[in-house]
Amino acid sequence: MKQLLDAGLELVLESDFIYFPLLFDPDIEKEIQTVFHPEENKGIFNGYESKAVIKLKDKYFVKGFRLDTLVKNYESINPHSYQHMKNECLRRYQLMREVDETFLEGTLRTILFQVMPHFIKKNKGLSRKKLSDEAILDLIGQKINVPEGYYQEAKMFMDIDPLKEILKNIENQAPLLEPPGNGLTSGYKLRDWFRNAVHAKVLSDEVDRIAKSVQVRQQFSRIKPEHIATLLYITDTGSMEIDGFGFIRKNADRKEYHIYKHSGDYILKDYYDRSYLFPDCRVAVSTYTPFRPFVMEKYKHPFLLEHKSGQEICLKNFNPPDELTAKRIIGVLEEGLTALRYGYDPRRRNGYHSLDQLWVHIPTIDFEDYRI
Amino acid sequence: MDIGQMDLLRHIKDHRAKQRQKKPIKPDVFNQISSIVKQYGLKESFLDIFDTVEDHLTPKKVNIYRIKVKTPAVRPLFSLVAEEEYHLTMSIINKVDTPYLIFADSPDEILLCNPLYRLNPALSSETLMHYHFETLFLHECAKRNRMNTNRE
Repeated sequence: MKQLLDAGLELVLESDFIYFPLLFDPDIEKEIQTVFHPEENKGIFNGYESKAVIKLKDKYFVKGFRLDTLVKNYESINPHSYQHMKNECLRRYQLMREVDETFLEGTLRTILFQVMPHFIKKNKGLSRKKLSDEAILDLIGQKINVPEGYYQEAKMFMDIDPLKEILKNIENQAPLLEPPGNGLTSGYKLRDWFRNAVHAKVLSDEVDRIAKSVQVRQQFSRIKPEHIATLLYITDTGSMEIDGFGFIRKNADRKEYHIYKHSGDYILKDYYDRSYLFPDCRVAVSTYTPFRPFVMEKYKHPFLLEHKSGQEICLKNFNPPDELTAKRIIGVLEEGLTALRYGYDPRRRNGYHSLDQLWVHIPTIDFEDYRI
Repeated sequence: MDIGQMDLLRHIKDHRAKQRQKKPIKPDVFNQISSIVKQYGLKESFLDIFDTVEDHLTPKKVNIYRIKVKTPAVRPLFSLVAEEEYHLTMSIINKVDTPYLIFADSPDEILLCNPLYRLNPALSSETLMHYHFETLFLHECAKRNRMNTNRE
């Protein structure tokens, strides 16, 4: 139905009904001729009647549907288009990306403000003072390139007056949108009205979310716009990497992340004191169980069973935590990194594989290509 | 029940069975022409070409080496068009009063309906369906020329 509005047709609006240009074939023309006798035409010209077909300015229009029912039921009629319009509306008021929930949500805050400062270079020189949240956001702003658009969005995010106005209108039970006046109109005009009406409906349906957003944004009202822009960017992309530390959102709905730290290149020695240069990899821990360190890339190491990606690192006497806190995330990551870089004992040849070949008939991983 | 009643009963049954039978939808001139009008976006000015089309079809002006291929399009079973298109369609149907019109698949073919019908009103529907009207027109012209030469 919306396609009809998009077609730019000349339409008639009467008693909340849309009338579309009548399409013809010989039978329809015959019917029209019998209905619209010259003597009957007078009445129809003077005023609209509740008829299936009306004539206006020598053109025939056929009754379509009620405009308000289209707005009310559009979600069922064309779910895809409705979702598109809904997103457009929510984006206009920065309600789109669950930003408010993410701002309140603990995981991202923990990663950003408690875990990350442990792994990145915060201060120049040897000073080791603890950074405030604002200083961390400043640091992130310096290290990552936040696109210009997010600064504009941050301003809109902080402007809570339109949201307050919407809430007030909904509370006062003001009509969603006044229907356009009766008479001849263009499809494009009606399409614009329809879009605004759907937006008004979306906002009234999202009243709880708007109320929550207003509450959250009031809390954030003292934060600098550039910090809001940084947070919006991080929330949007769900990933970030600074100084070898980073995180990736794995599941947008459940807010699960992989938090990782690059190991950097390192050298291990075998039983015969020969050196093996291991390439960089990302040691990660996920925010969902099991809270064990693993290597994200396809990688081989004496402590990894196979040569593939996402393998847990073999650790002796390691008890994964039951609950993930900032301290435990740091602990698990460090445990994994330490194991890879310093855990292998060439005398004992501990782990799944030995760096030097043992010449036994057990299939094993070969590290010859890493030897230097 | 006598024989007359039996016959009547059978007759009624046969008649009803015939009524229940599916009848194929016959091609309709309006559907065909209105579809062409819609597809090619024809306007009222198209009607003016009818008056001049004969001038362009003199043997000297027609390119006998140009053979057009007919590409029949799938037309809808029922066609509904806007008012202007409807009036144009009806005007075309009134102007081209030949049985060949239903086989026209493009505006050129609509224009060639009358001249072709005048040259040969007995072309079979299969021929009209498979060959472009311009090809048929050239063929008929050539036939006529040959006959004239033979007579001379």
